[in-house]
Amino acid sequence: MLQAKDIDLFNLIQEEYRDMIKINYIVAVSLLGLVCILSLPETSHAIPAFSRAHKVECTTCHTIYPELNEYGEAFLKNSYVYFSHDKKKDASASAPKAAKPAAKKVVTDAGTEVKGDGDSAKLAALKAGALSGSTSSESQPAATEPEAVEQNHDAKPTTEKAEGILLSGIPEQLPISFTGSINYGYDTSQVNEVDFAARSIKMHAGGNFREKFGFFATYVAYSEQPPTGTYNTSTTASNNKTDLNEFLLSWRHVLDSPVNLRIGRMQPKMGLWKTNNKLSATNNYLPYSYTVGKSSLFKIEQPQDTLELNSIVANRLYVAGGIVNRKGQNTKEGYGHLSYKFGGADFLTNEPEIDLNKEESILDYLTLTVGAYGYYGKNGTSNSNDPKNTYYRVGSDAELMYKIYRLRLLGNYGNDDNATPTTLNSWTNVISKAGAVEGEVTLLTNLIAAGRFEYLQQESNSQARFANNYVRRYVSTLGYSPLQNVKFAVEYKYEILPSTINKVGVLGATIAF
Amino acid sequence: MKKIALLVALGIIALSSSADARIKVRGRGAAMNFDSASIPPQFQATFANMSQKCIKCHTMERTVIAVQTGRAPITGQPFNKQAVKAYGIKMLRKPNSNMNKQEIRDFVMFLNFLLDENAK
Repeated sequence: MLQAKDIDLFNLIQEEYRDMIKINYIVAVSLLGLVCILSLPETSHAIPAFSRAHKVECTTCHTIYPELNEYGEAFLKNSYVYFSHDKKKDASASAPKAAKPAAKKVVTDAGTEVKGDGDSAKLAALKAGALSGSTSSESQPAATEPEAVEQNHDAKPTTEKAEGILLSGIPEQLPISFTGSINYGYDTSQVNEVDFAARSIKMHAGGNFREKFGFFATYVAYSEQPPTGTYNTSTTASNNKTDLNEFLLSWRHVLDSPVNLRIGRMQPKMGLWKTNNKLSATNNYLPYSYTVGKSSLFKIEQPQDTLELNSIVANRLYVAGGIVNRKGQNTKEGYGHLSYKFGGADFLTNEPEIDLNKEESILDYLTLTVGAYGYYGKNGTSNSNDPKNTYYRVGSDAELMYKIYRLRLLGNYGNDDNATPTTLNSWTNVISKAGAVEGEVTLLTNLIAAGRFEYLQQESNSQARFANNYVRRYVSTLGYSPLQNVKFAVEYKYEILPSTINKVGVLGATIAF
Repeated sequence: MKKIALLVALGIIALSSSADARIKVRGRGAAMNFDSASIPPQFQATFANMSQKCIKCHTMERTVIAVQTGRAPITGQPFNKQAVKAYGIKMLRKPNSNMNKQEIRDFVMFLNFLLDENAK
């Protein structure tokens, strides 16, 4: 039997529980109303496999994962080979790190100089003990306390490799990583206003083979997509779009030339930034992501089956160009990219020459990167007499960095001469103009705020066949990284479309391991 | 007996001169740092400032090992005077490093001094 005091206590607990639920609900809704993170699968280049391979921290290449800093950009351009300022090592480019002591004259135990035209780098590695031991220091240790000396030896990078692995050029560690995202979205225009559904997990592989070849792959293991067709509340979360998002091989310095050859599926190098190289995880840059009509799914950031040549010229100029193959289409498409960096570290990560004895100047901190690109292609229904759509895109980007501030500008102009190619004898010419401006402030090393405005204007010569489209979008993002491989982001998007206004908040968590 | 005493005396002199020429290190792991007692007075302020600012992103152990070995412990890159200047410029430009040009200049001079001492 329950006593009166037990009932009182029960009521009290019940009230407190109700209050707690209320508070939790308010907190949850508030957060959901504010937040935002990764929803759709994006091409990624930030993976802990690189950290493991090079024993560096994530912030070596990232501001807050996955946004790259200038060193990350250089690593990407360098085909996933860690930049080196070690001239001795550069002399034997393909040798592993452990080969550095042997960059000196290679001498046998008996003191005879080794001669011959064999693989000098491999030989250097062998002689340096790379196959059987750890790296030894070239310089004398300072006079330290015994325990400190001991620490030093512990801290040295070990590069033990089995001979077979070294000679095969296989990465010592399996270069596999995973990234995952969990999003809570709040969108008043949806039936399900508070949506816990958007999430994805991807597997990445990346690295290089003896610095001759770089490789990168992204496999989307799971990516929840918007529901299609009829569904009800019993519908479980969809699990589709499992796909190979990117898989490329880069042959570095082909035949000792400064040119690199990339083949495979990748984002053709056009804009300054790859898809996920930004603070916002959910909202891609509009100039890179817009499509024209329903027949063409082409967009600047789309991964494609590509053959690309690229090169860094005079440390600060980056040139890329390639051809794209579309399934079921014999004619190839082409693109080109050109970018130049003023100030800051160059594309080989050499720091700028700054006279430390002079007074501070704005130029000490200023970095400007400008780029331009173009794409020319044709799409339509394969093996049919329907007229095709010949289209092109040209664009220009710029990035300005000054101390804790970063400003990005994007502009794109597109022309599709027949955006409705299935309609015979009715050419629908569409002109697209897109632009974006994004400002970013690094509040703390692990806290960055960004605000963006972007617009898209698409106008055709026939309203009956292609309704003009106008988009205005305001996106604010706050990214926080409590650990370098864990990121939380709160985003809010205010989007004005021709017939509606979207207000979407997202709270997202992204992890990489 | 005299010979032994002479040898011992010589040994002590040799050891003490060697120790004087170099900067001592104290602590282990993340707590490792240069021994402030062995830092000359003209660098004391810089050392104190460096010990505060560098640890915002990494331990002083990293700096100590770089000086001792001539290699940046994480990347394996050379850590010589040229690299010290490059690191200085990198830190100057790093967002939120909170280091101005004067401080960087002092840090570079101090690290160059440490490299010189270590080379003795």
